[in-house]
Amino acid sequence: MTREEYLATLKSALHSLPETDIADIARDFEEHFSVGLSQGKTEHEISAELGDPATVAGTYFDEGLDDIGHTMKESAAHYAAAASSASANRPAAVTPGTSGTSGNPESVKAISPQKDLAGARLFVILLNVLITWWVAITVISTLFSFWCVSVSLLVGGIGSFTALAAAPGDWISIFVLFGMAGILLAAATGILNFFLSKWTVIGSKAYINWNKKIYNEGF
Amino acid sequence: MNVQFKKGVLDLCVLSMLKESDQYGYELANTLSEIIQISDGTVYPILRKLATDGMVTTYLQESQSGPPRKYYKLTGLGKKTLISLQQEWLTFSRSVNQIVGGDAQ
Repeated sequence: MTREEYLATLKSALHSLPETDIADIARDFEEHFSVGLSQGKTEHEISAELGDPATVAGTYFDEGLDDIGHTMKESAAHYAAAASSASANRPAAVTPGTSGTSGNPESVKAISPQKDLAGARLFVILLNVLITWWVAITVISTLFSFWCVSVSLLVGGIGSFTALAAAPGDWISIFVLFGMAGILLAAATGILNFFLSKWTVIGSKAYINWNKKIYNEGF
Repeated sequence: MNVQFKKGVLDLCVLSMLKESDQYGYELANTLSEIIQISDGTVYPILRKLATDGMVTTYLQESQSGPPRKYYKLTGLGKKTLISLQQEWLTFSRSVNQIVGGDAQ
């Protein structure tokens, strides 16, 4: 197909559009031909690459393209919403094309999936700010004090044995008793603390993953 | 490649290609058609739609070879939209990959 044939077919397929639009569109394709020709392609090659003119013309009316338009408006509405909530920081770049879309019920409906995610994120943030932080502090300080108990029992037990050297005869058995008891109790509480700490770490990881999942994917 | 797949992402592709530098129609059409196998003519309706929605503006610039070319430039709105579409696409494609069983990461 030659350039003339291509443009003629294209224009006739677009005939239901306003004339200025048809002229605009034809100019784009004329330019495409000119650039292609200047790069050494033939009119037939360029026509073939462009695709069937009737099909291309159909794309200007295509529902698919309308959908693309909706996606655009949707995103524009997102942006408008985000910008208005953050407008204190920076003035929003408002273009005439978008100002009409934000109040449109269709675009409000379209952004609701994003709102669900916003709700989920708010939930995660509030959960952590209001509840999790003090639960975490309580758990961590409890664990810390348990470990302190174990360590002091151990230190006390070892201390009793070292005190043996300086102790007069009658006190030896008491020190041995204290030393043995201290070390045994330190071992027992140490094992208990080890498992408590391990479970805390496992639980925390699961909690963090759960938070991430809700934050990124919603409920 | 499935036509329905391409339709939804062409606008995102075009916006992404304009992120680094302004380009003219032929350039955009050529690159896109090479990468995702669409016919060159498909790009112009998309560019027109993007211009109508205020995502891009156009200006004419002389070229060393051939006639002046119509360049497409992202607007502020276009840039913001690109960012939000990019996010949506990444989230969406990740979810689809999880279901389809591709590379989930």
